[in-house]
Amino acid sequence: MGVVILLVMAAGVAAMLTRKLPTAFALVLLAVVIALLAGAPATGENSVLDTVLQEGAPTLAVTMIAILLGSWLGKLLDETGIAGTLVRKIVEFGGDRPVVVALGVLAVSTLVGTVTGSAPAAMLAGIVGIPAMIAVGIPKVTAAGTILMGIAAGMPFELPIWQFFSTALELPVDTVRGFMMKLFPFALAAAVLFVLVETRRRGVEHTWSLKSASAKPTSRRERLGDAPWYALLTPLVPLILALGLDVAILPSMLAGVLYALVTTTRPGGMNKRLLRTLYGGFEVAAAPIVLFVAIGILLAAVKLPGAVEALEPLVKAVSPQNPVLFVVVFTALVPLCLYRGPLNVYGLGAGIAGVLIAAGIYPAAAVLGLATSYNQVFGVSDPTSTQTVWSAQYAGVTPQQVMARTLPYVWAVALGGFCVTAATYL
Amino acid sequence: MTAVLLDRATRAAIEALEATDDIAFGARLLANTPTHEGRDPDLLRRWARTATEFGAALDPVATTARIVESDGGLARGLLARYTSRPVPTVELFTDTLALADELAGRLGWRHWYPAGSLRAAAIAHETVHEQLHHGPAKAALRRSLGHVVLRAGRHRLYGHVAGADEIAAHAHARAVCGLGRSPLLLTAALAAAAEAAEPPYGTRHGSPHASPHGRKK
Repeated sequence: MGVVILLVMAAGVAAMLTRKLPTAFALVLLAVVIALLAGAPATGENSVLDTVLQEGAPTLAVTMIAILLGSWLGKLLDETGIAGTLVRKIVEFGGDRPVVVALGVLAVSTLVGTVTGSAPAAMLAGIVGIPAMIAVGIPKVTAAGTILMGIAAGMPFELPIWQFFSTALELPVDTVRGFMMKLFPFALAAAVLFVLVETRRRGVEHTWSLKSASAKPTSRRERLGDAPWYALLTPLVPLILALGLDVAILPSMLAGVLYALVTTTRPGGMNKRLLRTLYGGFEVAAAPIVLFVAIGILLAAVKLPGAVEALEPLVKAVSPQNPVLFVVVFTALVPLCLYRGPLNVYGLGAGIAGVLIAAGIYPAAAVLGLATSYNQVFGVSDPTSTQTVWSAQYAGVTPQQVMARTLPYVWAVALGGFCVTAATYL
Repeated sequence: MTAVLLDRATRAAIEALEATDDIAFGARLLANTPTHEGRDPDLLRRWARTATEFGAALDPVATTARIVESDGGLARGLLARYTSRPVPTVELFTDTLALADELAGRLGWRHWYPAGSLRAAAIAHETVHEQLHHGPAKAALRRSLGHVVLRAGRHRLYGHVAGADEIAAHAHARAVCGLGRSPLLLTAALAAAAEAAEPPYGTRHGSPHASPHGRKK
């Protein structure tokens, strides 16, 4: 039966890869089929309807709220001009040296990446950051890559991600935070190295473009003035609270929302701005929330006793226990987290992580190391992920070009993560 | 090469561009450059004038960059490109330059843009980028623009004005190639003609603002 479940999973991956089915729908369908194959009854204990669908859907509810708060904060950073001001200042101070501008935009992206993820993060840092970098001569692929590498460097501090891994892998937030602290230096080093090496390798590029003389499109952004300097500290507020003062994730993010609001908005306009950005945040968060509902359902399915029993011997047989082999095998498998592959933690990878833990093949903390390391690769290089697609398109290049340029760097980050995992948890 | 076929509306729009002065085109370029979204139009115009004067006054120098010619500029919305690595190179997009040349003739702008002058203008334009990238002229441009971002007593730190180098490059090209009007006028006309003729240039990979396909993460 285990083999049949794996074949069904492979079919699910194929459906996602070929875009026959949106990821969320494919995951729910997979979950139901896996539960049926595992012999789950329709209702009652460990059943398809009650356990997989009813209990699985809200499993990641706290993550969903965190995502919503992150999107809300992201909307506020945009509407109040905080993100744009950061980039503008960087260009004004360092515009003569493209590498300085790129490093500055990288820092902004990292800050934004701690607040929110996916396309909203790329847009926050990239809407001004990408054209600003291109204007000072940074080549387009490097500009798009800089935004993505920056967001990925901030990802280890992204509070919704802590919440996701904590709930999905049933680990305390402290454990997740501890591993993320170890992963961060690799992510940051790779991001800085990307900027330094790529700007050196590719130099500068200036184009005489047809667009340069076009009539200016009207934009709401025109009306944004500079945000005050103390408002620019907004992305640090949730971080300081959650990381330095051990405040829980949701209140930390709410504090960020409040800080952005009071530092940028007159009392009379606060209610209106809060509501407008909150509703905007719902729109941004809709897609990831749907995905997290589906992941919760899939996790519930692969943790059913019948599924664990069927998959355990198979997964055990192919999972390396030797630390060196662990690093070598999982490093070699990195490409499988791209193109909605089976190791994508926002797809079937979450299910595989669930199986690895439920079957007792690795300790949960080791699975955390695997999943977060793959997430660093996926978050930057996957040509189907929204932030990569958006950044590449906005810069005027293809996601595949961005993947080719960034993959070596993020692959090294994953290697670092696996080494830490093997040394710490195996 | 694609022949320039202009419908009445496009032709009228292009002819209306003639009324816009060269400094206004520079200010428009700055306004299109991110980081200037909230700036006062008068300030942008002042910067455009300063950058124009700076570029026009630059001594003509022969380019040391390798010059290569290729097709495919129209698809990418480019006339020319300067890249500093692996070796400084000026890339001229022959299809766009040829179309611009044809357009100048068709619009009766030949007295402003003599036949073949755009190729020389493109080289002169990219030479300024080369000069600004490698030489001290960049700091001189920044000082002349006078955008103070930090003041401490008598000391002032001048900020970078994104897009000013592009205006300087166009002004230099106009001056050294003896063009009657800024190349920005012809660029704007070409953009209007290209947009009317076929799907917008530079959208091979989709509009920058299009909703990205794919899903979260």
